[in-house]
Amino acid sequence: MTGVAIVDVLVDLLDPTTLAGIFLGAFSKSALYVMIASGLSLIFGLMGVLNFAHGSLTMFGAYLGGAIMVALVSGGAGGPTRLALFFVAIAATFAVLTILGGAVEMTLIRPLYDRAPLFQILLTFGIVLVLDELVRIAVELNGLQPRTDWQAAFGTAPDFLAEWYTVAGVTTRGLYLFEGLLGVAAVAAIWAFLTRTRYGLYIRAGSEDPEMTRALGVDVRRAFTVVFGVGAGLAGVAGVVLMWDPRFGASVPLGVETLLVAFVVVIIGGLGSFRGTVAAAGIVGLTDAVATWLFVNDHVAFAGLPEMVSFLVLVGVLIVRPQGLFGVAEVGGH
Amino acid sequence: MVAFLAVYPVLYATLVRTPLGSEFDVLLPGADVMVTVLYVGLFAMSFDFISGYTGYLSFGHSLFYGTGAYLVVLAATEKLPLLGAETPFMVLLFAAGLLAVVIALAVGAVSFRLSGVYFAMITLGFAEVAHVFIRNWDRVSGNPRDGASVGAGVDAFAVGVPGVDALQIELGRLVRDSLGTVPGLGVELSAAAGSYYGVGLVVLLSYLCMQRIVHSPFGRVMIAVRENEERARAVGYDVFRFKLAAFAISGFFAGVAGALFAGYRRSVAPVNTFDLFVTADALLASIVGGLGTLAGPLYGYLFNASVEGILTTESDGIARYLRDVLGEGTLAAEVGGVSVAELINVFVDGRADLYLGVVFILFVLYVPRGILGTLRDRLGGHVADRLPDRVRSRVRGWRR
Repeated sequence: MTGVAIVDVLVDLLDPTTLAGIFLGAFSKSALYVMIASGLSLIFGLMGVLNFAHGSLTMFGAYLGGAIMVALVSGGAGGPTRLALFFVAIAATFAVLTILGGAVEMTLIRPLYDRAPLFQILLTFGIVLVLDELVRIAVELNGLQPRTDWQAAFGTAPDFLAEWYTVAGVTTRGLYLFEGLLGVAAVAAIWAFLTRTRYGLYIRAGSEDPEMTRALGVDVRRAFTVVFGVGAGLAGVAGVVLMWDPRFGASVPLGVETLLVAFVVVIIGGLGSFRGTVAAAGIVGLTDAVATWLFVNDHVAFAGLPEMVSFLVLVGVLIVRPQGLFGVAEVGGH
Repeated sequence: MVAFLAVYPVLYATLVRTPLGSEFDVLLPGADVMVTVLYVGLFAMSFDFISGYTGYLSFGHSLFYGTGAYLVVLAATEKLPLLGAETPFMVLLFAAGLLAVVIALAVGAVSFRLSGVYFAMITLGFAEVAHVFIRNWDRVSGNPRDGASVGAGVDAFAVGVPGVDALQIELGRLVRDSLGTVPGLGVELSAAAGSYYGVGLVVLLSYLCMQRIVHSPFGRVMIAVRENEERARAVGYDVFRFKLAAFAISGFFAGVAGALFAGYRRSVAPVNTFDLFVTADALLASIVGGLGTLAGPLYGYLFNASVEGILTTESDGIARYLRDVLGEGTLAAEVGGVSVAELINVFVDGRADLYLGVVFILFVLYVPRGILGTLRDRLGGHVADRLPDRVRSRVRGWRR
């Protein structure tokens, strides 16, 4: 790019409407990222387990949310009913995935705490292989995806998600606004859970020093199970929203896609730090939105830019600050 | 093992001609699959070299494999400086390894500032950057998402001494119809068998090199890093440089494996080179075969490829076999509202990943040392050293 071109880009970029548009896009994406990544970060912070299956749980949540809506919403259901059922779908997905996550922790991961962290990574990676394939089987057995009645899932979304709204001079989908609000709600809920409840106290103590916490009479094992479940549930809820998001949609490769973004977010923020995860989700969402804007407006010809830029931020952060923005070097001794 | 692998094509060709031929065809991997076993086996060994011996999980190992593969195809399509379509394949193999070394040094310099899970993630991150890049790099071909292939105008890639035709073995399925018949048995060897020996030669050489390094003082330091890095540093080793060197060596052989893949298949695509699931293949093979045993991953991948071969959708898979053997009536029978034919389609046909995933989880939980590692523990030494007891003990070992 020549000097003149850079000035052109900047003039274009600094236009108030453009900026507002970029910020709105960044906001909805950051909200999604924070929902997916905070579970991953909490699990790592408390147990030192890097959950490779986290993205697959999101993917599972996307299909589950869609399937619940298809099953519940009949053709004639009106607006308010649909809206209510949408929240039912979210709640049901959260419940199913929380139970699934808890069960996985109790049966598969529990025997591995005494072994090297390597084995926990390997095990969760095995879960990815199995879960992805099981979802594929379910999708094929029910003839979901290629057939048109799966398309019906899109028709079941409440009206306000599909409509367009104008905020600060920018027209945006109701879905994106909803994603943003959901993300804020999730952050507030996790923060309140961590700082205002007894269980949050256990979790914070457990991630500082599990041995000591156990010695003080806290059942750290149960805290592990709860955190794993809640983390999985959050990933699932994010998946339900992704199902209707035209930028993502439900597919089996969605698992890897979201896993990688979540990884980038938690490493940039510093593994195990909830504050860091929130900040990093904002940073990644913003760079992503700017890169997308640059490509869409033909300022940069490289189609892979939006996908690549968050990894470049990651590498940059790691070179300057290997433990991440808010991380403590070597969290949990791993 | 080497002897077994050397006679395998003849054995396979003989067994398939017996009355139980169709059953053997289903159960045994064909010559084509065996070539895959060799080069992916080499890739898995190179993965094990760094991850099994130093304990640093290189989750982005496909980066080196893909580099090697793309180098071969790009050189053959005249898209690289210095390396043209006329470059002997052996030179390309070496160049692929060297390029992978350069990349490994660059990636390693950043990544080895971190350890444990951070290292796994950052290497995965680098591989993913490369994946996105290669999918969008329009120099590769008109449609980089689908990869590129070597045109029919380019001669078959050959393994051997460059310039001496008699000492070269050509790779590829479409090169010749057959390799001739084996005297005495009257069995005809396919062209795939030729590739099998060509690739096998390179893999054997690479294995011996890595084996040598692992058993050298350098290899001892790698193990020291795995067992207790602090202590290795305290003893006075510059662990960073040792790790970096091990990573570079591992990258070299991963690059060679990728180049072999491209030389045999004559085409590359982002999905089968720069993909997380390519690394996953190596990971599965290493876990099943035994992490930290250099030869283990090859056995591991042999196992995986056999399972995959049995569950394949192709004509020699078990799904097709079941459909042929079971009568119409059985196939149409309903089990819980779904017909048997549908059950076969859904649960058997091409479902290798599901069962391999389950096997993988079971191995992580109950056989953490893998097949070869467990065998070694039971025999109390290296398998080859305990040759007299080997067969007997092994039978016992399998029955577990």
